[in-house]
Amino acid sequence: MDEMTQLDRLRSEIPTPELSGAAERRLLAEIATSSQPRPARRQRRRVNLGLGLASGLAAAVTMGVVITNGDSGDPGQTPTVQPYSMAAVTLQRAADNTSKQEELHPKPGQFLVFESQTMDPVDSNNENGHSRFLSRSKRTVWLPVDGSSLDGVLFMEVLPPKPYPGWPLPPEAKQEVGTRGPDRLADFDQRAEYLRTDYAYLSSLPTDTAGMRKHLYLELEPGARADYEAWDRVGSMLAEGYLPAAQRAALFRAAATIPGVETVKKSEDAAGREGVAVAMVSTEAGERQEYIFDLKTYQYLGQRTVVVDADKAEAPVGSVLTATALLKVSVADSAPVVNGG
Amino acid sequence: MSDTSRTPTEVDDAALIERARREPEAFAEVFRRHAPEIQRYVTRRLGADPAEDVVADTFLAAFRQRERYDLSRSSARPWLYGIATNLIARHKRIEVHQLRVLERTGTDPVSDPFTERSDERLSARSVRQRLAAALASLPAGHRDALLLVAWGGLSYQEAAQALGVRIGTVRSRVNRARNKMRKELGGVDPTSSISEVHVRG
Repeated sequence: MDEMTQLDRLRSEIPTPELSGAAERRLLAEIATSSQPRPARRQRRRVNLGLGLASGLAAAVTMGVVITNGDSGDPGQTPTVQPYSMAAVTLQRAADNTSKQEELHPKPGQFLVFESQTMDPVDSNNENGHSRFLSRSKRTVWLPVDGSSLDGVLFMEVLPPKPYPGWPLPPEAKQEVGTRGPDRLADFDQRAEYLRTDYAYLSSLPTDTAGMRKHLYLELEPGARADYEAWDRVGSMLAEGYLPAAQRAALFRAAATIPGVETVKKSEDAAGREGVAVAMVSTEAGERQEYIFDLKTYQYLGQRTVVVDADKAEAPVGSVLTATALLKVSVADSAPVVNGG
Repeated sequence: MSDTSRTPTEVDDAALIERARREPEAFAEVFRRHAPEIQRYVTRRLGADPAEDVVADTFLAAFRQRERYDLSRSSARPWLYGIATNLIARHKRIEVHQLRVLERTGTDPVSDPFTERSDERLSARSVRQRLAAALASLPAGHRDALLLVAWGGLSYQEAAQALGVRIGTVRSRVNRARNKMRKELGGVDPTSSISEVHVRG
């Protein structure tokens, strides 16, 4: 028996897996969010949420915090992380505050317009090899109030990229800079009904804490992964979604009941606005997913992910890999006509 | 590149990928065809947990590169294995670490979760340990070439496409890797597998 036969037997007990429908759906959902430029890496938490969220949840870089010197592994600035009860207080304040904010009342046929700034990691994998960078953009999304997200429109201004911590900035990163669109937001939408984030659907959600919590955990097996997934769903509703005040307050109260939520006293959104964040760590990804609120008004500002485990996240602890800032939400009677029909 | 497993009436991968340029959903069929095989390959190299992500990332990266796919290649296997290889490279430390654990302890963190009884294994503990030692000490490019051929079942020509190197490079890498393994295995009688199952290294 030669060495190739021996090698062929090594680990041969590992079976060819059955295809899981979930894996295929995950791919299709990722494909749906694949409009350019493309956030690539490990957006697992986004995947199930599907369309339109890719760039929405992802966010912009915060100047003071991002680590560009990947060699040091120095977090630069270590935020103070508070235990869970403080997070509950923060979310409670956010909930209480919803009634004080001016509320939009979009009507059927109209569009909600989300203006945001984002930063996402991009993996570039081509004949020149493998490279990574942080793609930044300002984006405006028009989402029909009562229609399919397929009728959504995206206009994007790609901003100068940043290096991915520890990686050189590849030449192709700069080629993307410029404006594009208006384009269709997505080619198709594979999201389950209960993951929809259009206004008509969000308006139909429960306005009590228990009901909203049940919604967040729909179809999830109990466990830490479910908690993180529920947390993720909160983020997807906030990123490029607009909830009526009653649902928004219920969402914050329900979020406060998710085990493992903590507070980050000092955070910063993609546009550099400082705030307090509620956050959850994904031990699988080695990242902390933060939802950031204004310190005074407790209005939602944006989101970011911060590395807490350098090995898993493949970046130094403390680096910011994704960030968003929701700059403005407004109502429009129509959306721009997209390129190429 | 011979697609013997498929009936002639079935469209080849190239046709599917071309269609997916206009209809993204068509890419799901590429996934259904190749994901199980790729997942087994990546699992054998990295273990079940990283493999799940690597496979998902592989097909997403493939989808995003579909415009650049050479449509004259009817089978997408070399292309997909090549992308997977790039992604596996990011987990090199994990791969080598697990091989070293197998080498040192005879216990394989990668395949253990799939095996209930040690006598289900086809190779002796001492053989596994020495193979692990050889694999761990290979330069990454040599390990890639060797395993694409041995575990991925790619021809030298296909492995060359997957790795973006000349076929001669694949041949010489595989040969050197085989020498390395032979040397490591030198002291082991590979036929005495049953009696050696419980021997500690």
